[in-house]
Amino acid sequence: MGYPYNHRSEVSIISRHFGDPDARTLKGWIEKGGYEGLRKALSMSPGEVIEIVKNSGLRGRGGAGFPTGLKWSFMPKNSGKIHYLLCNADESEPGTFKDRELLRWTPHQLIEGCAIGAYAIGAEQIYIYCRGEFFEANQVLGKAVEDAYESGFLGRNVLGSKTTIELTVHTGAGAYICGEETGLMNSLEGRRGEPRIKPPFPAAAGLFGLPTTINNVETLSAVPHIVMYGSDWYRKWGTEKSPGTKLFCVSGHIERPGNYELPLGFPLKDLIEDVCGGVKDGKSLKAVIPGGSSVPILTAEQVETCLLSYEGVEEAGSMLGCASVIVMDESTDIVHQVMRMASFYAHESCGLCTPCREGTAWVTTILKKMENGQGSEEDLDTLMELTDQMTGTTICVLSDSVAAPVQSSIRYFREDYLNLLKVGSGNG
Amino acid sequence: MTPPEKNPGWAGNVGEYQLTEVEIRGEEFVGKRPLSGGHPSASATYPYLLETKDAGATLFEGDYLIRFEKIVTRYPEKRAALLPTLSLAQEIRGYVSPETMDEVATLLDLSSAYVRGVATFYTMYNKQPVGKYLIQVCTNISCNLCGAEDVLRTFLGEIETDLGEISLDGNFSVIEAECLAGCGFPTCVQINSKYFENVGVLDVPEILNRLRKNLSDDSGGKGVEE
Repeated sequence: MGYPYNHRSEVSIISRHFGDPDARTLKGWIEKGGYEGLRKALSMSPGEVIEIVKNSGLRGRGGAGFPTGLKWSFMPKNSGKIHYLLCNADESEPGTFKDRELLRWTPHQLIEGCAIGAYAIGAEQIYIYCRGEFFEANQVLGKAVEDAYESGFLGRNVLGSKTTIELTVHTGAGAYICGEETGLMNSLEGRRGEPRIKPPFPAAAGLFGLPTTINNVETLSAVPHIVMYGSDWYRKWGTEKSPGTKLFCVSGHIERPGNYELPLGFPLKDLIEDVCGGVKDGKSLKAVIPGGSSVPILTAEQVETCLLSYEGVEEAGSMLGCASVIVMDESTDIVHQVMRMASFYAHESCGLCTPCREGTAWVTTILKKMENGQGSEEDLDTLMELTDQMTGTTICVLSDSVAAPVQSSIRYFREDYLNLLKVGSGNG
Repeated sequence: MTPPEKNPGWAGNVGEYQLTEVEIRGEEFVGKRPLSGGHPSASATYPYLLETKDAGATLFEGDYLIRFEKIVTRYPEKRAALLPTLSLAQEIRGYVSPETMDEVATLLDLSSAYVRGVATFYTMYNKQPVGKYLIQVCTNISCNLCGAEDVLRTFLGEIETDLGEISLDGNFSVIEAECLAGCGFPTCVQINSKYFENVGVLDVPEILNRLRKNLSDDSGGKGVEE
């Protein structure tokens, strides 16, 4: 069920126990059928577990949408090396607030998913990298981990098997870039959270230079259910290329903001108008960011036909990302919001690659200048050229993430920029 | 003290759930776990931002030493314990001074320069002392669309302080935060370890009164803020 609102269109799998304080406790979770998925997984071979997840078509919920089972199958077999499973709980993409709900309402669901994942890829050590700001959620998770150890769901001989699964909760310290998988690994190793050049990919040389798989909180939270009920069951929802359900985080100018679990492929227009009760205060829609601040902005017209699957949003001209739908009404000052996003990226750039370090700062400076009425039409060309050079030229995609909102806003909301110029010249 | 049922602007009072603040925050264990850290697997989940800060406290002794030692056992190399250790130091001292960084470096067999390089990379380490309550107002896009800049201005105005400064009475520091992942509950404000959600301009005086009341109630300041 969604939180803090529900809707009849929802399919509650991972969000079923949101808003139920009882589900946080080990006792409550077991009463609700918890840890049965782990028990079942341990009765199968690791290869069989990977096969189920592969067949389910589950795709990474952290933004990139990479098939989870395939990722798991990249892990070397019988390498004799230590393997790691990393859970990325460093949620910080503006507009995204699903992982915190999963951490604070259903921590045992995540622990169970982690344990199954670790078993499948042959990892004896799991690290959950939690965002540092989540003091409360982290404590809920920490308590759940302690209880899981005490009851034999973690540690040596898990549930009487020969499997050892150690889990450690690690906390970050406030850096958006640590949500990038290799930045996260550096950060966990006690370094600056600067992304690493790939290859080598994490499955070959990840955390501490050893084979590593990294998955998002939401991805791992879905795993126990898939193992329990099978891949065909999971494929009942969603589309061929995007099976299953996904949490949609809806925020901004909207009547009922919050998380809703819906089948992938759900129409964006229905999400806004039906599920969320429409644009706030009955105003009309101006623009929507469908997948967090790093993806191109959609116009109200594009929203009409956009379907919320990985391929559907791409067809509409943007990306599903982590399905963070930010709704903007007619009164929205697009230039100001784009400037705010750009200044966020300038603040969070790790400074390693020149196009990003310099580019994010300059984009912000130019946008601020325009906002103050001191810009010119030429600035728009400069912004387009600058962001072009920031795309595909850096180690990670933080730099590309600035280009998306800037370029799409100039393309679709050029009038908003030009109006600022008129105001500027009018004021002399 | 018992927290009031209604948290100003609290998310539990909107939507379709009738939940108390305690139920939402998970207070049956948040803030109630031992300072020495419980099971080592979760020893790094603690760090609180406490009202009481002791810039001259020893790194580490008593329960904190036990917790530090537990954290170190969870990694194949000592360096990996650097972030949780800096957080632990900040929990006690309130901020991470260059001297603190040096001490942490010694504890983990790292060079001072290395630790400074890492510590300055992360925004959650306060490089300067902060007030008893560190108020972080998210002004990123989702909150911004819903009036976060007004909320920030109201906090500054009510406290009569400037962004990033400690108020004259030493009680508050207000800073602008990047997305706190509470986008569905705008404006999202983090005060020490706690999230305050759906905060509107009108809620600000009530929140500040509540914080001032906590201070005058003399909570002792260890463990939890209330």
